[in-house]
Amino acid sequence: MDAYFYIILVVGLLSTIICVTAGILRKGPNDVTILSVAAVELALLVYLVGSIIRVALGEPIAGEAWEFWGYLITALMLPVGAIYWSILERTRWSNFVLAAVGVTALVMAARMNQIWY
Amino acid sequence: MAAQSSESPVAGTGAGGDVAGKKAGNTRNTGPGRLLIAVYAVFAISATARAGYQILTKFSEAPLAYLLSAFAAVVYVIATVSLAKPGRTWFKVSVAAVLVELVGVLVVGALSVFDAVQFPHETVWSLFGRGYAFIPLLLPILGLAWLYRRRPSAAAPTPSA
Repeated sequence: MDAYFYIILVVGLLSTIICVTAGILRKGPNDVTILSVAAVELALLVYLVGSIIRVALGEPIAGEAWEFWGYLITALMLPVGAIYWSILERTRWSNFVLAAVGVTALVMAARMNQIWY
Repeated sequence: MAAQSSESPVAGTGAGGDVAGKKAGNTRNTGPGRLLIAVYAVFAISATARAGYQILTKFSEAPLAYLLSAFAAVVYVIATVSLAKPGRTWFKVSVAAVLVELVGVLVVGALSVFDAVQFPHETVWSLFGRGYAFIPLLLPILGLAWLYRRRPSAAAPTPSA
């Protein structure tokens, strides 16, 4: 597991906790929950840029390269979709949808790390 | 997702708190239903990707397991789409898809426990979905509970639903 994974671990878990808490408190999606998911997107973008640089510098991916990039691109789409959805329906349930992004990104980052090394 | 529906102009009444103001026709894709659809969507994407990968790269190793993977992926896709669509027909499709999913996870889960020789390769449903934090086992149960609460016949009269 590398630094990229740990960044997503921390940001993803924080985001999930924030969104679940807001959902339990019966709040609709607000700036805090949406920004926490945006932070997950940012962490994933850092992973993307970092990975592009590493590949450009000649570092090999141990597993299937296209599988790695597939995971990364899919993960990048999740926060966007969830935020879009949370804007469409502003109920507390959208916060649980937002909460799902953090843990999903975390699991996918773990898998990406396995593929890379 | 168009919330228009041909039926039950009175619905929305039965929905209680957080769906207030929503267009009434489809009561399945609001509130908790959204969360359900989101989780189903994640499983549809990951199961499809995984099955596609398994079949394209190593199908001959375990054709049965990988065909099951593909079948599971199709079930998740149908469940996701049908849960998001309004109307009675889609409701029936949802019930069918979720039931198939429940049977699938139980049968494949049991087979993978008792006959590890035939099912050595991972599918979403192996060991009751252990590789996915048992969410595949939980999901159809929650799905059926949700569909039961929002069944079309109950939509109009019960304010308590």
